[in-house]
Amino acid sequence: MTTAQASSDHISLLISRSKISTEINKTGSWCFVRPGYQDRTAPCSAACPVGEDIGRIEMLAVQGLFKKALETILQENPFPAVCGRVCFHPCEGACNRGEFDEPISINKLERFLGDIAFLDGFGPSILNLPNNGKKIAIVGAGPAGLAAAYFLTRLGYVCDVFEAADAPGGLLRWGIPSYRLPSDILENEIQRIQNLGVRIHCGEKLSEDFLIEAKERYQAVFLGCGHGRSTGMNIAGEQMAVDGLKFLYRIRNGEKLPMQGTIAVIGGGNSAIDIARSLIRLGAKPIIVYRRRKQDMPAFEHEIKMALEEGVQIQELLSPVRIDQDGSDYILSLQEMKVGEQDADGRARVVPKDSKTQSLRVNQVFSAIGAEPDEVWKVPPEKIPEILTLSHCTITQQDLPIVFGGDLTNSNKSVTDAVASGKQAAMALDTLFQKGWENINDRLSECRVGNSPALSMEIYMGGDRKNRSRHIVAYNEVNIDYFQPCNRVVSLSVPLQKSICSFDEIDHTLSTTGAMSEAQRCFNCGICNGCDNCRLFCPEVAVTLEDNKRQINFDYCKGCGICVVECPRSAMVIEEKKV
Amino acid sequence: MMQLNIPDRDYLNSGHVGCPGCGATIAMKLALRVLGEKTVVVIPACCWSIIAGNYPQSALKVPILHTAFATTAAAASGVRAALDMKGDTETTVVGWAGDGGTFDIGFQALSGAVERQEDFIYVCYDNEAYMNTGVQRSSSTPYGTRTTTTPGTEWKKTRKKNIVEALAAHRISYTATASIAFPDDMMRKFKKAMEMKGGPRFIHVFASCPTGWGVASELSIKIARLAVQTNMFPLYEVEDGVKYTLNYKGNRSIDEYLKMQSRFKHLTEEDIQTIQEMVNEDWQLLLRKIGP
Amino acid sequence: MKKVIEGSHAVSEAVRLARVKVLSAYPITPQTHIVESLSEYCADGSMDARFMCVESEHSAMASVIGAASGGVRTFTASSSHGLALMHELLHWASGARLPIVMAEVNRALGPGWNLWMDQTDSLAQRDTGWIQLYCEDGQEVLDTTIQAYRLAEMVNLPVMVVLDAFFLSHTYEPVNVPDQEQVDRFLPSYVPRIQLDTANPCALNQMAPPPVYMEMRHSTQMAMEQVPRLFKQVEDEFFSIFGRAYGPVETVLCEDAEIVMILTGTAASTCRQVISDLRSKGEKVGLLKLKMFRPFPTELIRKILEPIQKVAVVDRNFSFGASGIFAQEIRAALCNYPEHPPVFGYITGLGGRDVTPEILEDIYWRTRNNATPKAESQWVGLDQEIVES
Repeated sequence: MTTAQASSDHISLLISRSKISTEINKTGSWCFVRPGYQDRTAPCSAACPVGEDIGRIEMLAVQGLFKKALETILQENPFPAVCGRVCFHPCEGACNRGEFDEPISINKLERFLGDIAFLDGFGPSILNLPNNGKKIAIVGAGPAGLAAAYFLTRLGYVCDVFEAADAPGGLLRWGIPSYRLPSDILENEIQRIQNLGVRIHCGEKLSEDFLIEAKERYQAVFLGCGHGRSTGMNIAGEQMAVDGLKFLYRIRNGEKLPMQGTIAVIGGGNSAIDIARSLIRLGAKPIIVYRRRKQDMPAFEHEIKMALEEGVQIQELLSPVRIDQDGSDYILSLQEMKVGEQDADGRARVVPKDSKTQSLRVNQVFSAIGAEPDEVWKVPPEKIPEILTLSHCTITQQDLPIVFGGDLTNSNKSVTDAVASGKQAAMALDTLFQKGWENINDRLSECRVGNSPALSMEIYMGGDRKNRSRHIVAYNEVNIDYFQPCNRVVSLSVPLQKSICSFDEIDHTLSTTGAMSEAQRCFNCGICNGCDNCRLFCPEVAVTLEDNKRQINFDYCKGCGICVVECPRSAMVIEEKKV
Repeated sequence: MMQLNIPDRDYLNSGHVGCPGCGATIAMKLALRVLGEKTVVVIPACCWSIIAGNYPQSALKVPILHTAFATTAAAASGVRAALDMKGDTETTVVGWAGDGGTFDIGFQALSGAVERQEDFIYVCYDNEAYMNTGVQRSSSTPYGTRTTTTPGTEWKKTRKKNIVEALAAHRISYTATASIAFPDDMMRKFKKAMEMKGGPRFIHVFASCPTGWGVASELSIKIARLAVQTNMFPLYEVEDGVKYTLNYKGNRSIDEYLKMQSRFKHLTEEDIQTIQEMVNEDWQLLLRKIGP
Repeated sequence: MKKVIEGSHAVSEAVRLARVKVLSAYPITPQTHIVESLSEYCADGSMDARFMCVESEHSAMASVIGAASGGVRTFTASSSHGLALMHELLHWASGARLPIVMAEVNRALGPGWNLWMDQTDSLAQRDTGWIQLYCEDGQEVLDTTIQAYRLAEMVNLPVMVVLDAFFLSHTYEPVNVPDQEQVDRFLPSYVPRIQLDTANPCALNQMAPPPVYMEMRHSTQMAMEQVPRLFKQVEDEFFSIFGRAYGPVETVLCEDAEIVMILTGTAASTCRQVISDLRSKGEKVGLLKLKMFRPFPTELIRKILEPIQKVAVVDRNFSFGASGIFAQEIRAALCNYPEHPPVFGYITGLGGRDVTPEILEDIYWRTRNNATPKAESQWVGLDQEIVES
């Protein structure tokens, strides 16, 4: 180094050159509003009778985390493969995406996840169950009873399920034709419940005396034995009509029942549809005769649509008045009906149209106008002091707490409502034992999904979902700029000509890619899926990400609010800063 | 972002003094995510000369050369020349100027530098007026805008200068528009520009200014997105001045965009119609260049 | 090696020998020969440098600021309007404390257009924080340019090497062009104290608010104040290798002089002859050639002029509404002396007009024959016919 260079080190050189980061400025002091992460309730979840966490399930499915997605369903419903086939999926009607293009195929995705559990051999997803020493007796191994057993077992109870038939499943096994629900699917899901430790005792038809015996051995009883007897039509010649439910039972029992000719099916519920579609498969020409209009039928809309496509005829506004035999044929006399005023539950009342009747010549008549309890002790008593009527069950407490559930109490007689009943019963009984009779309503209310009657077992058990806001995300709260129109996925199905010739399942399960791309369509309303928009856009670099968890650094957040507006799924909120 | 293979790292520091919701800050943040640590940023007088921090602070984790207003492209040329002479061809030199420093006072230096084929990326973050000095009109201010120098009934009656076409006319290898509301598209363009070494690359970034435009800060991204969705600010690329690629087709009407901003609140329905026609005309012109 | 070259080429040779890495310029007469020859050196490979042909002087200075901030040795050249256009960046370069060297060819500013010698262009930049060194001949131009890099890099201040339009820039003279090896010994490779570095990222030249701005400007002045001392050190080293030195000021026959004439640039050469002639007639006259204008060598000048009876300052420049700029500075340097000689200011040779021996003799006699100056500035050589037309 020369002398000149050495001396330059002593020359003053104070220039505008940075030495430190701007991080010493705590610009958080500028802000007067504070953004925050707040997962909220998706409308689909609130519409689901069992309150499944659908937005989160689809989010996990997109990420290929199928096992986690399945476990998320199993938090709330032990029957994804079953419900993925037979649920009337009100979730899809509530789906915000429906307003954008088409709702997510939530039902098909549930089926995909339910099926993949067995294909991929996902092991028992719920381990280390507690045991509180209490035993519960469950009457009926249908969806309500099995669900009650499933949820109670998870809460630490030992459950004995008593089933009159020689195999469990109830309506799922005997009432739903196999083209909608193949038996292996059902058996797999029942097996998973049994794997938890639930004991199912088949061929045990119980009598009223059981309720007395049970006091010695059980701390409570759940009655989920359903409606065992078809409702009578109260018309002349009624005895000549075939009991539709028994007919379905015989088909599921493997009996060969060749049918031919024209067959009248009286009724408008799901059973009427199932009977008519089964008849098609057996070679007959079914005509559904219904006293109200087609749109008034209690059967699920998509079931009616399928029946019509398969060739089932529906004759509406005709009320049977008598059945007469004419040789090998039957003459069905029908009163013509017309639409009158609305009745109490909002349905259009129908009244006879003058005295006009017509007759229908058929080869057979099937009745399917509904079912009712076969024994009176299965009906919840009235006017006793300790009775609590909930949305999906009724609890009485005399000597022993008894819960009446499933179809015995549900106004909507669906499989998923039956599961909801079992879940509600489990939560109600557990609360009864833990906190007492008077706290049941409040405790259950804490576990509601949004503002709906649906209850979440995850919330009840203190899972992350309990932190979710009850606010139901509306369509206008979704930032639709982040979504491209895209049609919902369509699953492959057996061609109609082929499907109506057998009881094989009609629809195929979605492919993995189909399911993932469909799940990708989900807005994930109110549920952070880690899209990172908040962090990407934050002009203050005030969103931190650690262990996959995002947080606002209020040292620097200026409260601009971009993160909240740019959250595609309304999983953030902004509030005024507390002084 | 995953498909762009960009590391999840920010080179912007917290604690800078940008206004809440500042689009120009978001633009820098996104750009540097792509450009990374081997970057030198040259900044003239503009909002960013404030945001970047007073002595002795810096808001960036990469070197910054603050330079005089008109000189971005010239100073960036010089930095490039020095790095080249030192054998450093890896570092990306980025000129980072506002619309005033690009469309107006810095235009000559920019034109000169790109004609010389200087090897740098020039970014104009466009907030459509001299915001730093208190919202005075620039040649980037669109028709119909009220600013502090186009006040009252004397709102700006001339069109915004089409800077991208001016740059494309220099036949440089890469000219593109980008928007902070389309981060994937924007970062893709920065990555593309970064990899096209050897000549000038120009990126015109639409950077909303809640303060100057009269928009709530939380709508900063939304308004930038609307500019694209209404074709007010189309997203496209021009290679070698001739090969046009359109990245987004908008279809929304311009009144939705205009009515969200107080800088346009004086416009009558007739004025809005005039602007819509201008936007349509420009859009058709662009489509002709894009070709079939 | 002795070569007969233009003053412009003396600059170019020095820049090549200084191993400058980045050059940037915009052409303006009479600076063009400098940049043309440097372009050739870069083109023929005799210089390993990047030559940037920018679109304006503003960009020329901006780009060398960029390059110098990048940590390499830089050069530009300009003149007159070009320098005026650079004005903003001259402040920027010194404020950024960048050791840029610029050759500035003194030329008049329009209008009307005038391409010729006049010092107002460079003197108008006196407050920009640049060191200014005025040269008299080709050899001094070459030597000063090489020294300028040493000096600039020692104090982190830019240096303007000033030479007269045409009289020097376009005049061929024998010049001793030193060996590269000798120059390398004098001027080692550049070790920057300021540079953009991605490994050590910092912002340069950012907002300096009131609490720090004054301190930064004070720092520049502190460095400026070191320049006379360090310039001597530089010249001593230069002398030890090349055997030539000039000093911030040069005195000729001042020891016993009653009148000292102060000149800069090529007119100083003319004055050397005039003084010699006057001395032979018995006049006690001396010459003070001012080389360093910024920083102004006040102490040195005071010491030289203290015993002198009268001072005559010849300005080829003018500050309108005031006087010749060198005269102002001399007066300012002396005014705090209780007994200082009167300063006679003369304006001549503007816009390329010759400063002839006759004019300088006229100036001498005007000074000799008046006890005190008649005015702050006397315009010498005006054509009364034109003045009155």
